Amino acid sequence: MAATPTPLEVRNIKKRFGDTEVLKGLSLQAQKGDVITLIGASGSGKSTFLRCMNLLEQPDDGDLIVHGEPIRFKTTRHGREPEDWKQVVQMRAKLSMVFQSFNLWAHMTLLENIIEAPIHVLKKPKKEALEHAHALLDRVGLTARANAYPAQMSGGQQQRGAIARALAMDPEVMLFDEPTSALDPELVGDVLKVMHGLAEEGRTMVVVTHEMGFARDVSSQVIYLHQGLVEEAGPPDQVLNNPQSPRLQQFLAPKY
Amino acid sequence: MLDISTWFNDLLAGNTIFTADTLGYYWEGLVTTTQLVFLSLVAGLILAVPLAIMRSSKHKWISLPIYLYTYIFRGTPLLIQLYIIYYGVVFIDGIQESFLWPVLREAFYPALIAFTLNTAAYTTEIFRGAIKATAKGEIEAARAYGMSQNLMMRRIILPSAFRRALPAYGNEVIFMLHASAIASVVTLMDLTGAARFVYARYYAPFEAFLFVAAIYLCLTFAILFFFRYLEKKLLAHLRPQDA
Repeated sequence: MAATPTPLEVRNIKKRFGDTEVLKGLSLQAQKGDVITLIGASGSGKSTFLRCMNLLEQPDDGDLIVHGEPIRFKTTRHGREPEDWKQVVQMRAKLSMVFQSFNLWAHMTLLENIIEAPIHVLKKPKKEALEHAHALLDRVGLTARANAYPAQMSGGQQQRGAIARALAMDPEVMLFDEPTSALDPELVGDVLKVMHGLAEEGRTMVVVTHEMGFARDVSSQVIYLHQGLVEEAGPPDQVLNNPQSPRLQQFLAPKY
Repeated sequence: MLDISTWFNDLLAGNTIFTADTLGYYWEGLVTTTQLVFLSLVAGLILAVPLAIMRSSKHKWISLPIYLYTYIFRGTPLLIQLYIIYYGVVFIDGIQESFLWPVLREAFYPALIAFTLNTAAYTTEIFRGAIKATAKGEIEAARAYGMSQNLMMRRIILPSAFRRALPAYGNEVIFMLHASAIASVVTLMDLTGAARFVYARYYAPFEAFLFVAAIYLCLTFAILFFFRYLEKKLLAHLRPQDA
């Protein structure tokens, strides 16, 4: 066993909204450098599962272990919630998230968006944060847009900016919640290219996606969810090219 | 422009009303009005920020008292509030012996208190609306990036809400300037008070009130331009593209 602890491990996550049980006990282990893609029809629980990983949704049951440190929970009359929000805040700083609808802070320029959390959450010196931000902007091809506001950028630019913002946290694990679903088809490629590069340099990533090509090319593991359960999981070759369950076969079949 | 200046020159040349004496009253009035409005706006703004945050709280017992306060002050005329504070304060037991009396005896401070409480109520609701309208995704991003509740309020929600509130708040400032005219009914020599005095002395309603109306107009334009400047600076992120 290597000295570095597992970046992210979740065990037996359960979540219900009212009477509907959306996650019925899901587990996942992301080792360093893993790219895990979650696929499945809408309503299968993949986004909720991802959001449970940084506690944007509170799981009703299950364990969450980030960088070897288990998150402590307590049960109140409102349900289960973290015992120590400070621990959650620290945990979240290690897992940065990229959203379907980008969610850049609209009143800040792209550059300000990128340095915001490193300076105020990680307490990085401003100079260092700025240097890092410029390097990241260069990497996602947005140097010219540093001083643009989100509303002045295209969707693809915003999403690449959001990825730069996520990278600026030096995250242990990056969580992607359908990062290309809100983009025009011609803009998807730029974002996938950036994500491809991240996978190649050994970033640990958990990606909810509908891009089967991306899942096939870069994943170390593909998990197919159906109604809150893992229906099939494994390396992409096995899951995507040789699906066993009829449901996954149907999911992967050409739609037209 | 020329019309106004010739009209103004004629007004000054052929009259006995606008002497250095009466102009002095208007000047005094301008100073009082400016002080009253400026101080009440600053105090109201300082009050409104924490009140708006409390008003947005999801805990009923925090938000409800604030709601009651804003409801009462927005639901009754400012003039009545001024009457209650100005005439009512005398009847508070022991107030005339207290160290506060020399201050409260003057018309200025009761007016300042009434105006402050009134504008704070409106401003609280303006800010609350703006806080509530913060994009859900931006809040989620702040949480996902490890911001604590306080940090998120300070860095994301309030800066974004203040900008959204700016146009509505500009209107509130103009409204306060105009509402301040009622301060004259409690013997305060503000702009309107000066105009009333000049009117009563010379029985010249048009001169007295048109002149003061012109001063109010100038003040309003100054406020408008100030807010236009602020909006240009602070709302750049809402403009589609920098020119």
